[in-house]
Amino acid sequence: MKKELPIALGLVAGLIWIITTYFTGPRWVETVHQELSKWYQLAGAYMVMVGVVNLTRVHGHRITQKKKDWMYSIVALVCMFGIMIFGIFIAKDSNNPGWKTFYSQIIAPMNATVYSTLVFYIASAAYRAFRIRNSQATILLVSALIMMLGRVPLGAMISPVIPQLADWILNVPNVAGMRGIQIGAAFGGIATALRVLVGIERGYMGGTE
Amino acid sequence: MKIVSGYVAAFWLELVFLVTLLVVIARARKGLKIPEVYKVAGLDHLDEAIGRATEMGRPVHFSPGIGYLDNAQTLAAFAILSYAAKACARYDTPIIVTNRYSVIYPITEGIVRQAYLEVGKPESFVPDNVRFIAEDQFAYASGVTGIMNRERPAANLLIGAFWAESLIFAEVGNSVGSIQISGTANTAQIPFFVAACDYCLIGEELFAASAYLSKDPVLMGNLIAEDWGKMVMIAFILIGAILQTFGNSSFTKLLAK
Repeated sequence: MKKELPIALGLVAGLIWIITTYFTGPRWVETVHQELSKWYQLAGAYMVMVGVVNLTRVHGHRITQKKKDWMYSIVALVCMFGIMIFGIFIAKDSNNPGWKTFYSQIIAPMNATVYSTLVFYIASAAYRAFRIRNSQATILLVSALIMMLGRVPLGAMISPVIPQLADWILNVPNVAGMRGIQIGAAFGGIATALRVLVGIERGYMGGTE
Repeated sequence: MKIVSGYVAAFWLELVFLVTLLVVIARARKGLKIPEVYKVAGLDHLDEAIGRATEMGRPVHFSPGIGYLDNAQTLAAFAILSYAAKACARYDTPIIVTNRYSVIYPITEGIVRQAYLEVGKPESFVPDNVRFIAEDQFAYASGVTGIMNRERPAANLLIGAFWAESLIFAEVGNSVGSIQISGTANTAQIPFFVAACDYCLIGEELFAASAYLSKDPVLMGNLIAEDWGKMVMIAFILIGAILQTFGNSSFTKLLAK
């Protein structure tokens, strides 16, 4: 029963979702679709508390056991509960000026900072990938050189053919390869969803038995 | 009640695919022969990666990506996590699972707990090794890279839906000396994983993982249905391209209905 009930619930909910996505007409179809969306969002919202408990437990252990860099765990917990208290008891609304300032002055720049580290990682990954070890790495290197030159004025200055060649690489072999992968992945995705729906794949329930 | 405009062809094609899938599953259950599946290097080397971590006395890190529960890639990642967690439990190697979503966290915890139970070592399961990090994409990225730098996993398994953080994880994993196996169906991230990881599951290989690792004939039968689906799509592309070349758009209009 422990396994059968979630599978049955998943099957019924999944079928309702498929029917209400593909079909239109009677009002109940849209009502059920909207209602299911709300349930889905609600389930996600209350699960946040489970995450908060885990975060508190993991960092609490680090602090009490004085593990390496335990001070950072204090910062993590103070930030998490500080934001929670500020949001619930002081700001109360996402349009609160303090809340907006907090987002635009702290969270957004921090996100941008982490994102911007990508440029260095791209450089180091490219260096390793472009080292000529075999024919595939050579093709990768030549294609990358043409692409990079084709995207800057220097490429057109060297030869007007370079930007055209870069466009061709991007729009023909690249798109062909990507679409092939996408078609395969789409079928894989649909098959996985159907396996979950009919209860053949039960990994999400913790284990395969 | 009628089918939503633009979804007509998709609905009938998916229905045919579902029926094919169920027929193939029924055939597999009857014990009919299933064709062999080609070797997937990334999956073949999972045990090697975990074995390496065991020899080095360092943990294994697993990230199920940053996709939500409605993403098929996340569901496919669970099958690989289950396999990896069982191998880690067998060898007494810690497995650290980092989650972006609090909804995913109890599921991955359940998978790892069940894995330890199935190999008969429930007492070895460490709940703190399955961690919720943060729901914000780059906060999650920072948290995971911090864990990688501090705990220096010998094997880094990045399986699921990844976006901009893919290369950050792969490069940090490389810098701490991890053997890296990645897998995603997000086409924009595949080149990063191919360039930076030792092995990469490309697109559909990720979805084939549960069948490939379990060798279950029913799941293997699924792969046949997928291949038939792809063949039909190739035929559609050829027919559409030929007809469109000669100025006949009836087929493409039919599919767009």
